[in-house]
Amino acid sequence: MRPLPRPSRRGLLFGGAAASAGVMLSACTSNEPSDSGDDDGATQAAVSNDEPGTPVTIGFAGPQADHGWLNAINEQARSRAEEYSEVTLNITEGSNDTAQQIGQIEALINDQVDVLVILPADGRALTQIGLTAMQAGIPVINLDRIFDNPQAYRCYIGGDNYGMGLNAGHFIGEQLRDVPNARVVELSGPDSLELTVQRTAGFDAALANYPNIEKVARQAAEFTVESGQEVMAGLLQAQSQFDAIWNHDDDQGVGAERAIEQAGRDEFIMVGGAGSRHAMEAIQSDNSVLKATVLYPPTMAASAIDLARALGQAKGIGGLAEFEIPSSVTLYSAVVTRDNVEQYLPTGFN
Amino acid sequence: MASAPPPILTLTGITKSFPGVRALDGVDLDVLPGEVHCLLGQNGAGKSTLIKVISGAHRPDEGEIAWNGEQVQLSAPTAAMNLGIATIYQELDLVEHLSVAENVHLGNENARAGFVRRAAARETTAALLARLGHPEISPDRIVATLPAAGQQIVSMARALSHEVKLIVMDEPSAVLDSDEVDNLFRIVADLTADGVAVVYISHRLEEIRRIGDRVTVLKDGRAVARNLPAASTPTREVVALMTGRDTEQVFPDRPAEAPRAAEPVLRAEGLSRKGEFETLDLDIYPGEIVGLAGLVGSGRSEILETIYGARRPDTGSVQVEGRPLRPGSVTAAVRAGLGLAPEERKAQGLFLIDSVTRNVSISSLFRFARAGWIDRAKERSAARGYTKELSLRPDNPDVQIRTLSGGNQQKAVLARWLLRECKVLLLDEPTRGVDVGARAELYALIRRLADDGVAVLLVSSEIPEVLGLADRVLVLREGTVVHTAPARELDEHRVLDLVMEGSPA
Amino acid sequence: MTHGATSEPATPAAEPSLAKPAAGAGHPPSSPGTGRPAGRGKLPAVVNAQSLSLLGVLLALCVVGAITAPDQFLSTSNLQLVLVQASVIGVVTVGMTFVIISGGIDLSVGAMVALASVWCTTVATQEFGFMGMLFTALLVGLGCGLVNGTLIAYGPMVPFIATLAMLASARGLALQITGGNTQIVTVDSVLSLGERDSYILGVPPLVIIFAVVVVIGWTVLNRTTFGRRTVAIGGNAEAARLAGISVKRQRLMIYAVSGLCCGIAAFMLVVLSGSGQNTNGNLYELDAIAAAIIGGTLLSGGRGTIVGSVLGVLVFTTITNLFILNNLESAVQQIAKGAIIVVAVLLQRRTPYGQT
Repeated sequence: MRPLPRPSRRGLLFGGAAASAGVMLSACTSNEPSDSGDDDGATQAAVSNDEPGTPVTIGFAGPQADHGWLNAINEQARSRAEEYSEVTLNITEGSNDTAQQIGQIEALINDQVDVLVILPADGRALTQIGLTAMQAGIPVINLDRIFDNPQAYRCYIGGDNYGMGLNAGHFIGEQLRDVPNARVVELSGPDSLELTVQRTAGFDAALANYPNIEKVARQAAEFTVESGQEVMAGLLQAQSQFDAIWNHDDDQGVGAERAIEQAGRDEFIMVGGAGSRHAMEAIQSDNSVLKATVLYPPTMAASAIDLARALGQAKGIGGLAEFEIPSSVTLYSAVVTRDNVEQYLPTGFN
Repeated sequence: MASAPPPILTLTGITKSFPGVRALDGVDLDVLPGEVHCLLGQNGAGKSTLIKVISGAHRPDEGEIAWNGEQVQLSAPTAAMNLGIATIYQELDLVEHLSVAENVHLGNENARAGFVRRAAARETTAALLARLGHPEISPDRIVATLPAAGQQIVSMARALSHEVKLIVMDEPSAVLDSDEVDNLFRIVADLTADGVAVVYISHRLEEIRRIGDRVTVLKDGRAVARNLPAASTPTREVVALMTGRDTEQVFPDRPAEAPRAAEPVLRAEGLSRKGEFETLDLDIYPGEIVGLAGLVGSGRSEILETIYGARRPDTGSVQVEGRPLRPGSVTAAVRAGLGLAPEERKAQGLFLIDSVTRNVSISSLFRFARAGWIDRAKERSAARGYTKELSLRPDNPDVQIRTLSGGNQQKAVLARWLLRECKVLLLDEPTRGVDVGARAELYALIRRLADDGVAVLLVSSEIPEVLGLADRVLVLREGTVVHTAPARELDEHRVLDLVMEGSPA
Repeated sequence: MTHGATSEPATPAAEPSLAKPAAGAGHPPSSPGTGRPAGRGKLPAVVNAQSLSLLGVLLALCVVGAITAPDQFLSTSNLQLVLVQASVIGVVTVGMTFVIISGGIDLSVGAMVALASVWCTTVATQEFGFMGMLFTALLVGLGCGLVNGTLIAYGPMVPFIATLAMLASARGLALQITGGNTQIVTVDSVLSLGERDSYILGVPPLVIIFAVVVVIGWTVLNRTTFGRRTVAIGGNAEAARLAGISVKRQRLMIYAVSGLCCGIAAFMLVVLSGSGQNTNGNLYELDAIAAAIIGGTLLSGGRGTIVGSVLGVLVFTTITNLFILNNLESAVQQIAKGAIIVVAVLLQRRTPYGQT
């Protein structure tokens, strides 16, 4: 299931946060007591926990929530902030327009929020405003779409597109281990996006470990239901038989499943991506070809709020020895299957 | 003629065919430096094609072109331009939203390293305009804001911005008032005095007589007469050559003294539009032809369009058969029995790429439709009934109307309103762009309509046309009716006096 | 109307009366059929020269398909698929063809499809079942079209701007309704319409809807006063106005037709994808305009055919299908699509302008 060793920090407490927005950070620390060997050390870091601390105002600026995942990002941030009585969340109307988002962030800087959480519409284009905020003394938590310049953020937290492909590939590889000449199909997101390229690279890298598997087709959809249906319908025509398919995105997966249903095909297994509620429910009920989905967890927004709170209160985070929060956190793309779907279901987005 | 200089341009045996048509059939033409060479012919006789051959827009199938005695190929308009041939087309080819100076230098920008030298362009333009007698036109003015006559001047300035030795003018006077025509003739005289040759096309014989030196008459793609002296050839002979028949009398007879119906079919009361025309009262009776005479800009077309509902009046009302029309609604006017043949036939009257049938039937579709469904056979045969009546040529209701000559297009517009069984016909410049032979036919047609009980309101720049055709004439000056009289009591000089001076009788 | 189509006997006169022609002169004989031969002797309006050249392109694509993917391309299921995929955008294109022929443009079709599809898939609407969803989609499309038409005809606003505004606001409203979520359809009768069991003699119901819309569209354009007026105002709006056509009302109705087509297409898309999403109909405006233009409709208005537009849609759908069957990259797909637009348009240029 998790065939590749990952950098040690990936297993850190944020796995817990990612697993469930409801799970508390303090619980995580107690889950992994062995992590902190210097509990007895004289230099005990001040660790962020559920106890109310000094008041913190967090400014949150994201893109327009025009699809389920981004919607979930906003929700996660909002509900996480509500859990802390001392945290005030100042959340902007999302925008996909770079200029508009810059304006919104400038307003937050002028309001002198304590910490900024920014999910830029375009990481490269918003680097400058990140720098401006940092220079104004407002630390920035950069969420998911990374700025060009490390000086533009204090901490980056985001998903792992390459890892997503990798985990999807390994899951499929393990499932087809005993199938000779297995045929695999990939339904990717838009090729114009960097993340699609990374996901495909990870997927190909994982499949390379399985000589019995051949990727026979790859077609790009547009992250929309409509395109998912259209492209999948074509793929089903093109490939009269195959064993597994990885679909990068559960939103377009709704269309893809529809096309599969319409074609009356069920000889293969399907693995999704991102982790929508709809996909998880399908996995749970186990009555379709969808057997698993690889997370790109929107809970990262909740974690970003935690990081911002810790930063605002000048604390480190539980489970790590350091006095400060890390400068970069890359999330693990867990594979959700029927066995563990129960656990993840609350994080599924609509 | 013995001492005449050698011709600057000689065309020999020019033949040009288009699918289905032989537009030019072995035409010879020679143009001398400093002469005004007039081309006459009905629409469709091949004048336009011949001009396009001279300007390099068409390549002849056969025949030779010599320039100053040397054989040349005019393969593209630029080739002709480089020789010094300029053409002023009937349909002005100006870019309306550019300035005068930009239009004059269009395609020939005075530029350095890609940057237009605007100051220099303005200067040369101003000089050209002064030479053309119109120094008041600013080179910076946007062409769209100029009146038609001003645009004509800009076209001419553009032609003269090159080193020009021969200039082709295709009906340059069609959009001009008499004053402006005088100015045009002065320009032509200046040009010829400098040795520039002018090929001049016009339907107005009196103009040709005034400025022309020699006349070539085209008919059916052949030069049926060459070397006619412009001043002395009798009109009857010219018309006979053009039409192949003798049309001595152009205008149809008026009915003796038509008994007037009791009620006017159309009544306008106190109609006015600020800045266009003032309190107009007008009654038109069935079977009557009323003419509106006046200069361009005297409010003639505006009056027609206001009656027709295409413009909303500031004051006053229009009644048809005693019932008031909803102001500003063409639909209501048409429903009440009005029909308009607009001034700009192509721009306002026709669906150029549609068939003759569709152009004729468009206002009467309800007549062939049941629940919106058109009975096309019925439509076609009804439209054809009228086009046959009006001897529309060619006698094929399926051809695109843009392929027809001006006169035949006008007939199609008339057929549209006949089919609509309209009671009042508003005619705005009905013979513009229509050749002499076809004009007579149109005049006869209009008279026949009136005899059948249709009321006609006629606007024309050509005073003889108004006088010859109308029963009653309203003389307009600057938006006001200055005189009303039966046409037989007026003559051209009297009307001219009235439109210029405005002195009431 | 005092003047009906009654053909009175001609009043005795020296010359035949022009204003009221005799029964024999102006109107066809009463027996039906005798007037018919007049319409013969030219190409039937169904297939014109431009459509023929486009048909050539389509056949060429089919040959390419049969060669490069011999097992899949010509299979029944693939042909069904191509037609189904053409159906949704095809219905939109029929509406767009009317708009373009009238000299206008409708940039809001994609957004209207999105709005109608999400409106008819909200939880509340789904409770009303099949008919509730269908009529919601149709009414939303029609309503948006009426707004477009009112702005354009009576504003008056330039179609480009008015429909651009509709594009923005309809997409916005669609997003507002969904909150960015995908709305899954749970009404079985709607879902089953898109599935194999409901094919009628092997023809998918969506294709039947498309065919019906095409036939109605063709008939309205070529055989009714509505169509004739649409062509007229596109050919010369001023001449149409002066010929007594109510140009404003006609414009209003044309944009309403386009909106209604979007409503139909939205419902079809819901059936096809089993969901409503605010991203639905993405870039439909460009696809529909491109299909109409390569189908021979003049962007300046006044000329166009439904058959050409349908062929245009089929060409694009077939291209997409070919690419997927041959597993080409999306970059290659886009390049080839552009090239084929150019080829199709150039081929049409070769056909004489005057042919109908």
